[in-house]
Amino acid sequence: MFIQIEPTSEIPIYTQLVNQLMELIATGTMKPSDSLPSVRSLASDLGVNMHTVNKAYHELERKNIIQIIPKSGAVVNIIPSTGPNELQIEYIKQMVKPLIAESIVYGMDKDQISSIVNSIITEISEG
Amino acid sequence: MLVAIFFAIILFITIIQASIPFLLKKTIAFGVTIPEGHSGDKNLANYKKIYSSIIVILGLVGLLIFTLRGLNEHLGEEQIGVMGLIIQLVLLISSMVLYLYFHIQTTKRKREMKWGENLKMVRVADLTRQSNDEMLPSIIFALPVVVTIGLIAYTAIHYPAMPDQIPTHWGPSGQPDAFTEKSPFSVIALLLILLVTQGMMVAFNVFTKKSGVKLNAARRNSSRIQQMSFRKYTSWFMFLTSLLMTILIGFLQLTTIHGDIGGPFLMLAAPLGFLVILLLATAIYAFKVGQGGSRIQPEIEEEAITGVTDSDDDVYWKAGVFYVNKNDPSIFVEKRFGIGWTMNFGNPIGYLIIFVPVLIIIAISFSL
Repeated sequence: MFIQIEPTSEIPIYTQLVNQLMELIATGTMKPSDSLPSVRSLASDLGVNMHTVNKAYHELERKNIIQIIPKSGAVVNIIPSTGPNELQIEYIKQMVKPLIAESIVYGMDKDQISSIVNSIITEISEG
Repeated sequence: MLVAIFFAIILFITIIQASIPFLLKKTIAFGVTIPEGHSGDKNLANYKKIYSSIIVILGLVGLLIFTLRGLNEHLGEEQIGVMGLIIQLVLLISSMVLYLYFHIQTTKRKREMKWGENLKMVRVADLTRQSNDEMLPSIIFALPVVVTIGLIAYTAIHYPAMPDQIPTHWGPSGQPDAFTEKSPFSVIALLLILLVTQGMMVAFNVFTKKSGVKLNAARRNSSRIQQMSFRKYTSWFMFLTSLLMTILIGFLQLTTIHGDIGGPFLMLAAPLGFLVILLLATAIYAFKVGQGGSRIQPEIEEEAITGVTDSDDDVYWKAGVFYVNKNDPSIFVEKRFGIGWTMNFGNPIGYLIIFVPVLIIIAISFSL
């Protein structure tokens, strides 16, 4: 199970980490109650500052995707069977809106946007 | 005898130094990261060949001079020793100078040929590697420490019966040739040095276990296998070294307490056996494992992932050999030119682990 970061990318490293870890969980590669590597170990493997990894883990905890248990480390939470709460739906809408606006500005129509979304969902659910 | 020992050591250094470019990962040449797809460059291959050839020639000349002078002229043991050390030193310094020359050449070539400019530079981590680490547990490294403490207690019991002169140095025949006055400190000085060294080995194992696993971005699965093997076998090798030292010094301490327990033969055989086993183990380790496990052939076939290469951290490697990266929490990292670990000079804990024990050992040696 690998993760890959691009140190020279414009996207901050901690965001790259958050995105990659979320993807691993979404594809089912990382399962609920799986533990994440320790902050020190992941930071030294990637040769980045421990604060960067720590920031990523706290971001994931804030999103309720992982749980940080003091002294024993970070574990993946169960994906709730009740679905997302209102706040999460609101947050996703807010995040997606500018992207959809950008797509329309590029000249995409509804079908094109839907097909992109569908293909990404397929890609993730098929791992 | 002394000539033979130095001959073997000089020959050994020559072989290892000349082989180093071929024991390294293909992705690093003379301390420079070589982006994916360029490790087979003809100029690089030539640099490596020239480097090795010059070392072999220098080594052979050194051996010739040493043997001729050592056997023909009537030199004392001390003179032979000094000559042997000077030849070793000259060999090591010339390999450093050669290294530096080819480091500059390689850097230049990489820049001129614009290697890797169209590749995405990434760093890869394996999230499951902690549970797959097979390095020896640090508690095993603490076992020799227990032996040493036992020997100190044993020495304390036998203190009244010990001779007035305590040996501090042993000549090539294995017999002691320098002594100091008996005192509660001088009788255990050797054991204290051993203790500090063992403690350093424990700390070394603890911190190398925490060091990062640096995977090859394009061949992550095979490089993972190589990395894990490197870590495992390096910790075995370190443990063997700690064990051998404990046996040798423990033996010397027992002969100091009880006189010639094994007779002159054992006095000669013990340090020689130590040297032979250590050199053999080093050779097996260097050629079977290689730097970062580069000599280990993973059973899996792995196609290189195209379009990516290792993130270039050459900026952190001063002259290609000194790693200075304040961000990296690793205290020890794999060497780039050579075999084994080197320290992250950007992390002060590393200085503590290496220099404090060395200072204590020097202090003990000088207070005798």
